[in-house]
Amino acid sequence: MKKTLTLLLIMFLAFQGYSQITGTVVDENQEPMIGVSILKDGTSVGTITDANGKFSINAKKGDVLVFKYIGYKPLSVTIENSSPLEIQMTIGAVLMKDVIVMGYSKKTRTEISSAVSVLNERKLNDAPANDVATLLQGKVSGVQVVNSSGEPGSGAEIRIRGVSTIKPGNAEPLYVVDGIIGGSFDPSDVESITVLKDAGATGMYGARANKGVIVVTTKKAKRQKTKFEFKTSYGYNIADHGNVKMMNSEEFFNDFSAELYRDYETHQIDKIKFYKDYPQDLLQKDYDWVGEVFKPAPIQKYYLSTSGRTNKFGYYISGTYYNEKGTYRTTGFDKINLRANTDLQLNKRVSLKNNINISGSKGSSYDYLDMYYSYLGVPWDNPYNEDGTPKYVDGKNKKWWSRDHINPIHSIDNSDYNYKGVGIDYDMVFNLKILDWLSFSSSNRLSFGTDKGHRFVSPLAAGTFHNKGYVSENQNMWFGAISTNLMHFDKNFGSNSIDGLFGIELDNGYSEFMNLEGKGLPEGFSVPTVASSEFKIGGSREKELFRSFISQVNYNFNHTYFLTASYRIDQTSNFPSGHRTAHFPSISASWLLNKMPFMNSINAINMLKLRASFGITGDPDIGASRFLGLYSLNTQYNSHPAATPYQLANPDLTWEKTYQYNVGVDLGLYKDRIKMTVDLYNNDTKDLLVLVSQPLSQGFEYRWENSGSVNNKGIELGLSTLNIKTKSFSWTTDFTFAKNKNKLAGIAKPFYTTIGGVSQIYRNGNEIYTFVLPKWLGVDPQTGGPLWEKIERDEAGNIISRTPTSNYSEAEPQEVGKALPDFTGGFSSTFQYKNITLFANLAFQSGNDIYNFTRVFMDNDGHEPYYNNMKPKSDWSRWEKPGDNATHPSMQNNALSKEPSSRYLESGSFIKLRTLNLSYSLPKRWIKSLNIEDLSLGFSANNLYTYTQFWGQDPEVTLKQQAWSMPGVSDFKYPNNKQFLFNINLKF
Amino acid sequence: MKNIKYIFAILIAGFIFQSCGDMDIFPEDQLTTGSISNSSDGILNVTNGNYALLKDGAEFNGIVDDNNCYLRQYFQMSDFAADDIVCGQKTEDPLYYSFTYTHSPNQSNARFFWYISYKIINGANTVIQYLESKGDLTDEEKQLLGENYFLRAFVEFNLVKFYAFPYNQGDPNSNLGIILRTSTSDPAEKARATVQETYNQLLQDALQSADLMNKPRGKEFASKEAAWALLSRVYLYMEDYNKSIEYADKVIDSGRFTLETSESYPTYFANALQRSETIWAVAFTPSDNRGKFGSIASMIYSDGNSGWGEEFATYDYMDLINKYKGDVRTEYIDTVFKEPGVVQKKNGLEMFFITKFSFQDGDPNLSSPVMFRLAEMYLNKAEAYAHLSNESEALANVNIIRENRGLSDHLINSVPNGKMILGVVLDERRAELAFEGHRYFDLTRNKMDIDRTYWGYHIKGLTIGDIDLSKKPSGYDNLIIKWDDPAKLYFIPIDEMIANSQCIQN
Repeated sequence: MKKTLTLLLIMFLAFQGYSQITGTVVDENQEPMIGVSILKDGTSVGTITDANGKFSINAKKGDVLVFKYIGYKPLSVTIENSSPLEIQMTIGAVLMKDVIVMGYSKKTRTEISSAVSVLNERKLNDAPANDVATLLQGKVSGVQVVNSSGEPGSGAEIRIRGVSTIKPGNAEPLYVVDGIIGGSFDPSDVESITVLKDAGATGMYGARANKGVIVVTTKKAKRQKTKFEFKTSYGYNIADHGNVKMMNSEEFFNDFSAELYRDYETHQIDKIKFYKDYPQDLLQKDYDWVGEVFKPAPIQKYYLSTSGRTNKFGYYISGTYYNEKGTYRTTGFDKINLRANTDLQLNKRVSLKNNINISGSKGSSYDYLDMYYSYLGVPWDNPYNEDGTPKYVDGKNKKWWSRDHINPIHSIDNSDYNYKGVGIDYDMVFNLKILDWLSFSSSNRLSFGTDKGHRFVSPLAAGTFHNKGYVSENQNMWFGAISTNLMHFDKNFGSNSIDGLFGIELDNGYSEFMNLEGKGLPEGFSVPTVASSEFKIGGSREKELFRSFISQVNYNFNHTYFLTASYRIDQTSNFPSGHRTAHFPSISASWLLNKMPFMNSINAINMLKLRASFGITGDPDIGASRFLGLYSLNTQYNSHPAATPYQLANPDLTWEKTYQYNVGVDLGLYKDRIKMTVDLYNNDTKDLLVLVSQPLSQGFEYRWENSGSVNNKGIELGLSTLNIKTKSFSWTTDFTFAKNKNKLAGIAKPFYTTIGGVSQIYRNGNEIYTFVLPKWLGVDPQTGGPLWEKIERDEAGNIISRTPTSNYSEAEPQEVGKALPDFTGGFSSTFQYKNITLFANLAFQSGNDIYNFTRVFMDNDGHEPYYNNMKPKSDWSRWEKPGDNATHPSMQNNALSKEPSSRYLESGSFIKLRTLNLSYSLPKRWIKSLNIEDLSLGFSANNLYTYTQFWGQDPEVTLKQQAWSMPGVSDFKYPNNKQFLFNINLKF
Repeated sequence: MKNIKYIFAILIAGFIFQSCGDMDIFPEDQLTTGSISNSSDGILNVTNGNYALLKDGAEFNGIVDDNNCYLRQYFQMSDFAADDIVCGQKTEDPLYYSFTYTHSPNQSNARFFWYISYKIINGANTVIQYLESKGDLTDEEKQLLGENYFLRAFVEFNLVKFYAFPYNQGDPNSNLGIILRTSTSDPAEKARATVQETYNQLLQDALQSADLMNKPRGKEFASKEAAWALLSRVYLYMEDYNKSIEYADKVIDSGRFTLETSESYPTYFANALQRSETIWAVAFTPSDNRGKFGSIASMIYSDGNSGWGEEFATYDYMDLINKYKGDVRTEYIDTVFKEPGVVQKKNGLEMFFITKFSFQDGDPNLSSPVMFRLAEMYLNKAEAYAHLSNESEALANVNIIRENRGLSDHLINSVPNGKMILGVVLDERRAELAFEGHRYFDLTRNKMDIDRTYWGYHIKGLTIGDIDLSKKPSGYDNLIIKWDDPAKLYFIPIDEMIANSQCIQN
């Protein structure tokens, strides 16, 4: 019966002119390709090739078959007759770029309805870096990258579309590696990075997408031939102190110390008294502390990978070694990263992907105070003994000028702050094709990591541990298991196509921390067991659990109208039962106008797309148990266990959610020679998770509450142009620009954060991170004393007058600046002449203010006579006599001049030449005989030049809101580096 | 099609697995409010925690700042504002504002002190509420209940001393005192009580605690006698001199304490927990050593490495204890010499280090600070008798101290010419109780100005070039602080003002 039917069907089809078309698909090397999709154009009829590259499909003469395979140029073949087809596909870079990895799914540029930015390998790897964030600076609109530290191994901070959260701690975006939340990778292994910016894109990560999502895809085998790639970079880092240049002996003597002896009545320097206290022979000594502590340091990176593919098996295996010595004495960082990505086509229906990433790192860090004293050392103190060893100095040393009697070089050499870490991620992705239009995938990752820190101060070091020594060790260990199980469907009905997914996700995190410390070390030993006194131990455990339901539907009509809707339900153990579950819907739509008939006549436009999206995302990122009333058991009294009130309960604590709106336009002109993307967005983050200040008289500072909202709205522009294209020369430019406006609303009471006397206010209608400080009005020309602004108000609180006052306590703190920029952006240019490529990348930002906290010490008006000072800016002057219009007060009338005020608040705008990269690719004919595919040599320079008015270390100042750091406050930090590198790339 | 069954099986299994996962996760290193009363030692742990808060560097503003410790602030906020210690260096540490009287509501030391005081009160209230509702208490439980009443009284008293006008300045019935918290379920926002109401509450707490404590746990914990000693001190501040004498006598007559002798006194403070003069001291163990960055000693003493050593004893104090040869109280001053006979200077000032908070276990930064000791009881009596114009009793009590401090040959048998009996008593209090948090309040309570006409960085805008040790400073505007200067009061912390609309600022 069945046979008869089949026969009948064939006859019927044959009658219609249909026949069974068979064929084979091979690649450039004549190897059969499996899994190539074949679609009859304009229909939903299709098939895929089998393990031998063979296929069969019903088609009639004149039908067009479209062959598609990721990484290859699509091919259209018109059926002439029924003889078997021999199809050869070629690798197509164009298509590669067009496939955008969205995390749970992949889309082409035309299909996407949301705001995303993609960076491929070429755009990323212009400089060797240990951290991928660094590579994004100035390249993606709406992404602010802050390289706040030059410490070896440190990473940059990223903020996407402003700052949407005001709780302390993590404001970094969510990373998704190879389709699974979390994970680790080395920048060398990255094939592409997709930055998901609006809810249309991030909605799928609803629960944790408030701060944006960065989707990282690592490399995998692309073609059959075994391929090797070797890259190396070698070069030097030079500490970039920005505008901080410390005074030399003569400057410190004449321009600073002598001023301490300027008589306030006669306005002359009392030289007799001065020379008595400061003998003139001091001028014969001149030690450059900064120059002694910071030296140029080598950096090197090696990368080797091999990849290849057979019919059923593809592999990519790589190893990276990164070694960076710090410019600051004894610091450094080493990292090894190994990755193996394999994919296995078990049969026509089942495939299995295994990715393993193992990384190990170690490094040496530093102590804040040693950094601090390294800048502030007085040039008359010789750091070394006659035999060249660092000099031991303590409070009893009478011949030492620098304050606190500490020789930081001796301290650095007699201490050790090192750390080590190992991280392993194992991904297993199982794919099962159930029907042509239905498949199941299970993506799983197990993560394990541990790191260990070691702090050691030798008994030989001066300071509080002298003769005792100190050692502490801490260890952190974490496990993670995440499993995402999804059904995928994909079906066409004539001009309608619909695809999507639904499923569940479970995420489990567990971490343990322990630390120990002890003193009383014998000289020369630093292992904890040798400690003999003052032991302390501590430790903690934390567990977090997420479970989620995920779904998404994509619909398009005629490849012209696109609609994507997703819905996600999340639960987390971080909130009390009853407030655990949250719903995150999102919807986005787009219209590809260039497909419309009326656009046919406009040849210049090859792509024009309008997009709009709305969605809700969330953020539960406050750690476990923040809703319980707790007593901490982390102390003791006379060695008895002791419990102290730790946390106020809040049984109503729940999710922080962002309501995101986005509209955008994508435009391609002259066959994509000009590409432009513009986005407008408006994001409202509601129910902010906030530590709400409590009356201290309750015995608690804060309580976690959901209070207020923050709005971020802005515009983003991306423009890529191919300016010149001739046979031997091309010039392309990329320009990004983003403007963001941040505003708080609905906060019950304004609250402040204060560090080191510097305050920021959170108030409705304000930007977050707004500085509140007494306003500095300069120096009184008559008295040489500092002036601040006094505000007088009537009973209703209206301002009656603003007058200068010399009484600091009368100066009302005012809102005088803010830490977030108005706009950020970048500009890159690539020139290519024959085999020579020159790449340059500028990054800029404007509108933010920096509190220059280091100046409180380095520009201290004589409050600290034994700290070295920085060389003054050209327009600074010190008051000497009545009538002087000076910027700096008399040292004899300087009371409270360095108290927190707008005096130290400076513009943080800058333009930075981040990268300059010159590379030369050897002509193919020279290297072909050596079986080398590509060999290029290059030179790159990073962080070459910064244009800024900021008179401090560096205008890239941290935006972290945490214990010791306040956004926009420039404290003594590990200086950024100017980097010079020589690079070799070899492919064979 | 077979496969689809497996898929659905996996999906269903997944859902079941997920819904079974327990989402109720409790911390493994903390007690929850509920578990305190469920465990046998929860109450004991919280009581011990209240003592621990006196010595710990608890987290504040998201960080554990070594500078912040209840006792460090307790001593610095009073003694640095008085005339026994001179400021030898300008500093970013807010202790500087106590020297200069440039207080502000943002001052982190005064904010922390206020905060930890109320954390102790919160902890005490937890215990008091639980035990009071339990009824039928064992002697051990009564002792714990008493200790918590005592701690509440002690902490309330210290608060009202710093943040409110003295009891005897103006009208205590209208002057604002502190916010009284006697229950953990108080509304968050609450107004300040008057000074009178504050004293009523703390007296009631102290009296109750004295009745309850009959099972002493050692000198590092409160006891009946500690409560009496507190009452003697409080009544002195309230000018209720008879009561002050009464409670001082109760302590003295208890027979549990004896004065250190001239021989033992020089080693007393390093060993306070073991010594018989101590009524109550806060125990610091070696693991509580707060080192250079947080110990009480580090500002006033350094062996070259151990501390900052930026503040010194004043000439006035040095003159007082050097007046009679043999005064063993000079043992707690360590003068730094540049060469024999020449005192080393720092920032233009001569260095007289103070060692009352050093050398427990030989460590320069370690001591168990004495909160109440027997000597104070005699001196409370001396002051009370002086006010009651009982000159002979006042002198008798002064001489009890002098006999034990190497001054047996220099007893004071009559008030010297040009001096008042109160002056004699206050000199003795100053010499004996210096650096222990008394001097500032002794002057204020007796309505005397604080005279700081000596070189030091309490003088605004002073640079090293200005210092001339051959003469006294003159022409500076903050050398003398009037006894009733409102600038003496510490401000109610900004945090309280913002979050508590009912609280009125000083």
